[in-house]
Amino acid sequence: MRYLITHGMIIDPSQRVATIGHVLIENGKVARMYEMTDRLPDADQDLVIIDAHGCLITPGFTDLHVHLREPGEEHKETIATGTHAAARGGFTTICAMPNTRPAYDTPAVVRQVRQMARDASAVQVEVIGAATAGRQGRTLSEMANLVEAGCIAFSDDGSPISDPAVMRNALAYSRMLDVPIMSHCEDTRLNAGWAMHEGAVSMRLGLPGYPAAAEEVQIARDIHLAAMTGGHLHVCHVSTAGGVELIRHARQRGIRVTAEVSPHHLTLTDRWVLGTLDSPPSAAQGSLTQRLDQYSHVYAAGMQSMRQSADLPLPAWFNPTLLPPFDPSTRVSPPLRTEADVEALIAGLADGTLDAIATDHAPHALVDKQCEYGLAACGISGLETALGLVLTLVHRGALDMLNAIACLTEGPARVLKRTPSSLRIGTQADLVIIDPDQQWIVDVNQFVSKGKNSPLHGQRLKGRVMLTMVSGQIVYQEPGFGMTPRVTPVASRLEGILNTDDDDA
Amino acid sequence: MTLPEPIRPTRRHVLDLDDFTRHEIETLLDTAVGMKEILSREIAQVPTLRGVSVVNMFYEDSTRTRISFELAAKALSANVVNFAARGSSVEKGESLLDTMRTLQALGADILVLRHSYAGTAHLLAQHFRGAIINAGDGSHAHPTQALLDLFTLRDKLGTLERRHIVIVGDILHSRVARSNLWGLTAMGAHVTLCAPPTLLGNEQFWLDTWPDLRIVYSLDAALQDADAVIVLRLQRERQEAGLLPSLREYAQFFALSQARLQAALTGMLVLHPGPLNEGVEIAPDVAVSAQSVIEEQVTNGVAVRMALLYHLALHLRQKGA
Repeated sequence: MRYLITHGMIIDPSQRVATIGHVLIENGKVARMYEMTDRLPDADQDLVIIDAHGCLITPGFTDLHVHLREPGEEHKETIATGTHAAARGGFTTICAMPNTRPAYDTPAVVRQVRQMARDASAVQVEVIGAATAGRQGRTLSEMANLVEAGCIAFSDDGSPISDPAVMRNALAYSRMLDVPIMSHCEDTRLNAGWAMHEGAVSMRLGLPGYPAAAEEVQIARDIHLAAMTGGHLHVCHVSTAGGVELIRHARQRGIRVTAEVSPHHLTLTDRWVLGTLDSPPSAAQGSLTQRLDQYSHVYAAGMQSMRQSADLPLPAWFNPTLLPPFDPSTRVSPPLRTEADVEALIAGLADGTLDAIATDHAPHALVDKQCEYGLAACGISGLETALGLVLTLVHRGALDMLNAIACLTEGPARVLKRTPSSLRIGTQADLVIIDPDQQWIVDVNQFVSKGKNSPLHGQRLKGRVMLTMVSGQIVYQEPGFGMTPRVTPVASRLEGILNTDDDDA
Repeated sequence: MTLPEPIRPTRRHVLDLDDFTRHEIETLLDTAVGMKEILSREIAQVPTLRGVSVVNMFYEDSTRTRISFELAAKALSANVVNFAARGSSVEKGESLLDTMRTLQALGADILVLRHSYAGTAHLLAQHFRGAIINAGDGSHAHPTQALLDLFTLRDKLGTLERRHIVIVGDILHSRVARSNLWGLTAMGAHVTLCAPPTLLGNEQFWLDTWPDLRIVYSLDAALQDADAVIVLRLQRERQEAGLLPSLREYAQFFALSQARLQAALTGMLVLHPGPLNEGVEIAPDVAVSAQSVIEEQVTNGVAVRMALLYHLALHLRQKGA
């Protein structure tokens, strides 16, 4: 099958290209690019035309951090459901974390998982091996054997390696394999019993806190160990301003450190745990003085916190007050931090300190979440909302479009030391078509993923994946998309989205 | 006895005092005055809540709060059932929501919940058709304790407006402190917190929510102009967890001793939510001194809980009618 994608805004960070044109896909590869004035190939019955008017055409995304739960917790997610959710989110390559049962810590398990992925998967699945046997943090896994079996990185994600000597050895040993050690940086002695970020909200709600320092001291430790060993440290899901600063400084010193950030840490804050209180007493009751009396300190304080949420530099379509207080869908590790952290993470992406946006897609069953806040499983089902959140940042002017797409394509490839997905002629046709302006309301019941755990349920996002292609095959398509001509004028809709002043463009 | 109408017809649950207006608190305390009168009668029972089922769901050990709720419900002729479970629902193998649904199907109208995890009362309130009263959830809230403290203070001081109230002890882990902060500030009182930094946490985090708070590390300084002091229980685990060098040093600097009582304003009231660690956070002779209102707090607790049950049941009935 051949596909001609027409009238799209082609954005390819690998070539620093942003132009309107058409793309021809043949034999699973990008066969040709057409400018708007070029003569298009003649229609024949083998050629499928996809009208991408008003849409972006970009290389397929790579997600460095996905929990597929198989084997062991298939009630939460399977390779089949997880990879279909990835396709729906625009991801054409995903890296599966090894906190499964059994863990991905032997070649046999890794081979089996890769085989299952070939059979069931919509997208390319890469396997991250456990850094230590059984993810126990004591003995190194047989890394060389695991690389032979196909592992592309190592991590004990979710179970931070607490013994610095073990971390030192992992970073040193992996050097000969030239693969990153992906570190979930958390000193578990500083956040024992934690439920949320330690700050004004945790203090108010009486929830045990996870201080920013519990992440930062471990990042600092791992940076020093990477400097000493020369190993490649990849910091998973950075969530604090201090963490960004440590990584920025380490990179200036030439230490081999890369880092990722999740869409939820880029957009949501600990105020989402506060949610909203009961609606206030009706203003119609009583005289004005009486009302002022009623609205004394208690209420003033409550309103103040709500006003602070409203003052967040987030677009109007974000509304944490859709949630009740203590909603377990907001519980995630590392926790949602403060506005200052969000700003620092965005700045870290913009200046290249952070390489990649990775979802940390963590699907859970309803029963794991519908319980006491402090006992609720950590994690957000993130594959299907990632692009919407990232484009929200673009619409808000916090990130430029080319940079945002680069953090989903080029950045993760850099971490894995691979050639990034690209729309260059002759490369494998892994691509995404995005409608950057489409507004949609998140409905977790419509998720392809088995994990319906998302604090974004009911929120309006702007920007949506319309079609995903892997090796020239359509693996996801919004119903009806591209099959009938789209009429929206291109120029006006794309105006202001692209940073046309980019020197490299 | 004439009871005032509830100010807030929409109130269904009592999860914390953070959504209470001053007027609503005053209404409740006024109702409790009437309830206290009932308790002083020869036959201390009225038929007001006949046919209403109250279930005390206690997932954490408690003697006085559970008995207080039980007596309050019985004084109003409600049906009371006590349900005690140890540990969390997860450890038990049955989810809290399942248990709640079972009690709902059995006809429970009001659930009184005590739980060791913060936010649990809010969770049940999302799903229960009747009313939830939070009887203490983790370090989050203990609204009925705060209401009985407010009742006792108002009774003794006449008003809380511009009164100086000190809360001393393990504030970081105290649901009593948090609910009292909402209640006391709503009533116009000035609040001072006093604790070692390991039992207080970051000062700014408190001030972000309660900007008018005063925080001091010296109990002597805190007590200088205090009209009342609420002494919190110090759990021995805090010392074992390394938050304190020793109980001896804690007692030396933060216990309410006879000497500190004498240095304070004449008539400064002494409150304590109980149970007491005599010799740790409070000297034995202080606890039984003339300024101590600890026993009255317990008595007032029954009256305040009667007032709450009454108002919530009234709302349930109006809704059901």
